[in-house]
Amino acid sequence: MASSRDDFVIAIRSAFLKKSTQQKFSLLTLVFLSVFTILLSSLDFKIIRYIKIGINEMVYRSSFVVSIPENFIKNRFLDIKDYTTFFNEYKNNKKELNKLKSQNTNFEIVQYENRELKELINDYVLSSDKILAKIIVDRDSPFLKSIIINKGSKDNIKIGTNIFDQNYLVGRVIEVNYKTARVLLLSDLNSNVPVTISPQNIQAIITGNGKSQGQIKYIKEGVLDQFSKQGIIYTSGTGAIFKSGIPVGELEIIEDSNSVKYNVEFYSDFSQLKYVFADVGAKSVLENLTSGENENQKESIEPMEAKLKILENEIKIFEEVNTKLKEENDYLKTNINNLNDQISTQKKEISSHKESINKTHINKQELEFLRLNLDHGHKCRRSFFNSKGFSVGSDKYKNCVLNKGRKTDG
Amino acid sequence: MVSFKTKGPYFKLYSWLPVIILFISVLNEFDLNYLNLDYFSFNFPFILIFFFTLKDFRHFDYLFVFLCGLINDTVVGFPLGISSLSYILICIATSYFRNITIRPNPIRDWFYFLFIVGLINSINYSVLSLFFLYNLILMDYLVNTFFTFLFYILFVSVFKYYLKGLND
Repeated sequence: MASSRDDFVIAIRSAFLKKSTQQKFSLLTLVFLSVFTILLSSLDFKIIRYIKIGINEMVYRSSFVVSIPENFIKNRFLDIKDYTTFFNEYKNNKKELNKLKSQNTNFEIVQYENRELKELINDYVLSSDKILAKIIVDRDSPFLKSIIINKGSKDNIKIGTNIFDQNYLVGRVIEVNYKTARVLLLSDLNSNVPVTISPQNIQAIITGNGKSQGQIKYIKEGVLDQFSKQGIIYTSGTGAIFKSGIPVGELEIIEDSNSVKYNVEFYSDFSQLKYVFADVGAKSVLENLTSGENENQKESIEPMEAKLKILENEIKIFEEVNTKLKEENDYLKTNINNLNDQISTQKKEISSHKESINKTHINKQELEFLRLNLDHGHKCRRSFFNSKGFSVGSDKYKNCVLNKGRKTDG
Repeated sequence: MVSFKTKGPYFKLYSWLPVIILFISVLNEFDLNYLNLDYFSFNFPFILIFFFTLKDFRHFDYLFVFLCGLINDTVVGFPLGISSLSYILICIATSYFRNITIRPNPIRDWFYFLFIVGLINSINYSVLSLFFLYNLILMDYLVNTFFTFLFYILFVSVFKYYLKGLND
């Protein structure tokens, strides 16, 4: 028993400490070195950051160079595939182009309208300054979905910079080096994007599913039933991580026998990306205004002054709104007066109409009386032969005529 | 059959071939660890390191293995040192296994490999999710472990030809 334990200890000691032939370091040293590296990499010291940036730059470039033959083969394969489906795609593209051209005009109008409305409510109107970036490393991992682009802090890329494929959102920058940057794709499990789902305008957060799609997470209870197929998903801008109104993908409802899944089919195919756009110049109108006004002033503005300027702007807006409301009020008052006049004239007209109706009614009664008088007047009139009659013109005579003669008692 | 009569530069290149392949596999975009297929992935560096540190450790410098780990972390985007630790743990396991083995048996190697890969992937998953708060899918790790285990035996038959050429 003791000898087997000794053997185990000897084997372990030998495995850890013994430097075999041509081995420069013992494994124990390398284990410590690994743990030390993990600990250091989790610290955010300036020197460590610079070393990491240096390693990243070197490795990304090396990876790009090593991947050239593979990329060459892959690209040739894709080219051949493209040529085989060239004609059909051309036909489809032509159709789609015509459709899109007609839609584009409408979109431009809507965009212009949107901009105007945003300016009206003093919202952030973002001006884009996109730069083209090439993907130098696109190494998919089952655990992390990210790409490396050839633009870094030198090109004004910052952590959080939005990355696009045409106009579609692809992801955001999570690591910046001098000439390279890592982009976390929307399909990654760690990616969270606040979005709006139209046409119902439901707010939600989508995360990647670790494959090529996204899934809806964190949504208000009870609104899931409102979803319609092919709902359009775009960024809501909540949290200011992503700009608002960027198209992300379409809603896909997958119904199983047991459950319903709400997936997001991204507009962009992340596995086919070659070039992307990095939005480096997103500035708000508010910022532009402030910077424009202060061109002649000092370069550095005190935060209090900036706040005061914002407040002054707000007061101006309030005053403008106030005058507009006053004008509207006056206009409404005159409108009310006019309407009152119209009502009184209408009332007069109604009373005159009523009178005429009454007159007609009286005339009708008299006509009836005269008609009956001709037939039954002799029965009611007092005369020599009719001593029980009434004198002509009296109320009793009138009643007697209307009753078609005198009623006999009993 | 590959054979080298003189121990010239070609032999040196041939003897360093596994290390070169290891460097290429961690640097290259074409990652055998991920072939864009659902429920299919395997870890080629694990197989390579396990086999060559077990069978031909003299030509497989541990320092290079450590460096390959650093490169892999940089390319994939993991915290620096995670893959290095995984690779070095494989080296320790093979070193221990070599010390206790008197008569090598491929099937025993194979199942020992399964145990080691399972253990290392578990450590990897735990460290990344607990200390670095990464969101990871456990199923991916399990699938990866299973297919790495399955493919080990295929690659071993190829590597054996290489070793034969080296020893001849």
